Amino acid sequence: MWDNIQLGFATAFTLTNLGYCFLGVFLGTFIGVLPGLGSLAAISMLLPLTFYLEPTTALIMLGGIYYGGEYGGSITSILLNLPGTPSAAVTCLDGNPMAKQGRAGVALFVTAMASFIGGSVGIVALMGFGPGIARIGLSFGPADYFALMLLGLVAAATVGGGSVIKGLMMVVLGLLLGTVGTDVISGDFRYTFGLLELRDGISLVGMAMGLFGVAEVVSSIRDAKTRKITQKVSFRSMMPTRADMRATLAPMARGSTIGGFLGALPGAGTVIAAFLAYATEIRVAKDKTRFGNGAIEGVAAPESANNAAAQTAFIPTLTIGIPGSATMSIMLGALMIHGITPGPLLISDHPTIFWGLIASFWIGNLFLIVLNIPLIGLWVRVLQLPYKYIYPVVIAMICIGVFSMRTSAFDVSLVVIFGGLGYMLIKTGYSPAPLILGFVLGPMLEENLRRAMLMARGDPMRMISDPLTGSLLAMSAFLLIWAVVGGIRNLIRARRLQDMPSGEA
Amino acid sequence: MPPFFFALSELAMKTHSLRLVVSIILAGIGLIGFVIGLDYEFGSARRMGTGYFPVVLSGLLFVLAMAEGVSSVLMPEAQSPEPLDWRSLAAILCSVAAFAITIALFGLIPAFAVVVGLSTLSERGYGWKPALILSVFTCIGAWLLFTQLLGMALPLLQWRL
Repeated sequence: MWDNIQLGFATAFTLTNLGYCFLGVFLGTFIGVLPGLGSLAAISMLLPLTFYLEPTTALIMLGGIYYGGEYGGSITSILLNLPGTPSAAVTCLDGNPMAKQGRAGVALFVTAMASFIGGSVGIVALMGFGPGIARIGLSFGPADYFALMLLGLVAAATVGGGSVIKGLMMVVLGLLLGTVGTDVISGDFRYTFGLLELRDGISLVGMAMGLFGVAEVVSSIRDAKTRKITQKVSFRSMMPTRADMRATLAPMARGSTIGGFLGALPGAGTVIAAFLAYATEIRVAKDKTRFGNGAIEGVAAPESANNAAAQTAFIPTLTIGIPGSATMSIMLGALMIHGITPGPLLISDHPTIFWGLIASFWIGNLFLIVLNIPLIGLWVRVLQLPYKYIYPVVIAMICIGVFSMRTSAFDVSLVVIFGGLGYMLIKTGYSPAPLILGFVLGPMLEENLRRAMLMARGDPMRMISDPLTGSLLAMSAFLLIWAVVGGIRNLIRARRLQDMPSGEA
Repeated sequence: MPPFFFALSELAMKTHSLRLVVSIILAGIGLIGFVIGLDYEFGSARRMGTGYFPVVLSGLLFVLAMAEGVSSVLMPEAQSPEPLDWRSLAAILCSVAAFAITIALFGLIPAFAVVVGLSTLSERGYGWKPALILSVFTCIGAWLLFTQLLGMALPLLQWRL
């Protein structure tokens, strides 16, 4: 263990890796600060920049973009009451009221500290549990892989809140889009419509940029004109009082634990971690009325939770090869582009990558503390830039990013299609994240299912009778039933409310 | 703009009809996938063919989308979200499409100028001066970043007609 940590720091402490780590967290924070664009858009936009780097350096930079985005998103939440990234949405609830009371500086300070503590807890969990989980993963057969991925997809569709049927549709559409291209087992082409470009499948980056980049930019253009920052944030105004510090310690500890646990589960991710941490704080608090009116716990807990989840999300991605969230599935794609297959063998085959990446997380989190406390004024200025000067450049970056992946104008036209589709989906209450997850997991899910069924001689009962596979499948079934029953109950309740005279509802 | 565009936007003005439009699109994708997928070798549960997975998935998508479509008519959601921003959507999508065409025919610099120029049309009264300045700066920045710093071998200017 100690040797590994030393190896990691030796890898991360080269000048190149330090430089790209800083560049990653800087760019990640920058894009995270921009409203609507989160770490998913940031990673896919900047992925082509890493093609020219060593795999370890590239991953260090991409990782930095990812958790940097988690830091940046909350700045926008506090100052504009508008989430910079989806996982920072909860921070709006109490962060913005704090800013309105003239305590924006304190809120930003607490956010940065909570993010750092959450991140640290997450990295420790990654170091402690990662190798052990990889060892368990070695014994997984195709049926276990299939069941695990299915559980992740069902969780992504049902746990996120909102309509279950819409979540399921997004997963199924993602799986279906994932079948486009060459079938791995038979070598036949599926849904290529005679187009040469589709034989390798739909471009993941093109699709993600359409669904998340273009669609989000379009939906923030109209609201952008009314936004204005009035608060001034000076270094002195950021210093919390001793009472503030005391009030945030326990929420940070609770938030980090919740986030660290949820981040490692398939399908849960940073958004749910933040929401659950906030809900827990309300439950624990003696005076519940303070929440929503600038309670400092309401900033500390979700921020530590989403950053802890952001770090532990690397556990399933790196050690089993199954990403738990849409952003992690882009990371998985990035790993494969650099010729590394994530899975149980990653830690033993590429120890420099795994431990170097972890060491870079420590360094990156330290960089972020500096970027977010002494240099906060920089990001406030970024937010003061009118959006009308930002979005044309963002669109241009999306275009060149997608184009340079495979120097393909076809992929750019995919951005048009998925951008239009994504905007409609967002406006009608769909969440495109499960779609991306389904798309990435689809080919793996199919391959493992086909192998497992071959081994079970076409008898599903044989698959279910295996204790591990069976219990994973049972968990998926339970989640699905629970969500459907909950959905029906909500419908009935809504019906009753409609039937009641309007005065009582 | 073609007339069907207006018809579509008028239809989408009502909330529940936009929900319906989206579920019809998704059901359509499912139906097309199902019909095409039937041509592929289906196989058996033991030896699944090329078509097994796609046919099951597209069938499932079709069923789910139909259910959602029916429920959007029977149970429209109470609160109506804000209407679609057609102008921004059209401008941004056109600018991305124009980038795809321009970069294939004329190279990097014209493509950047076109994508920035067209995307500024998404707001009324953006003005041509800020649009021009912004596109000049983006072009210079792109040249510095991609050709000088990263050494990407993309043609800056070409004529391929």
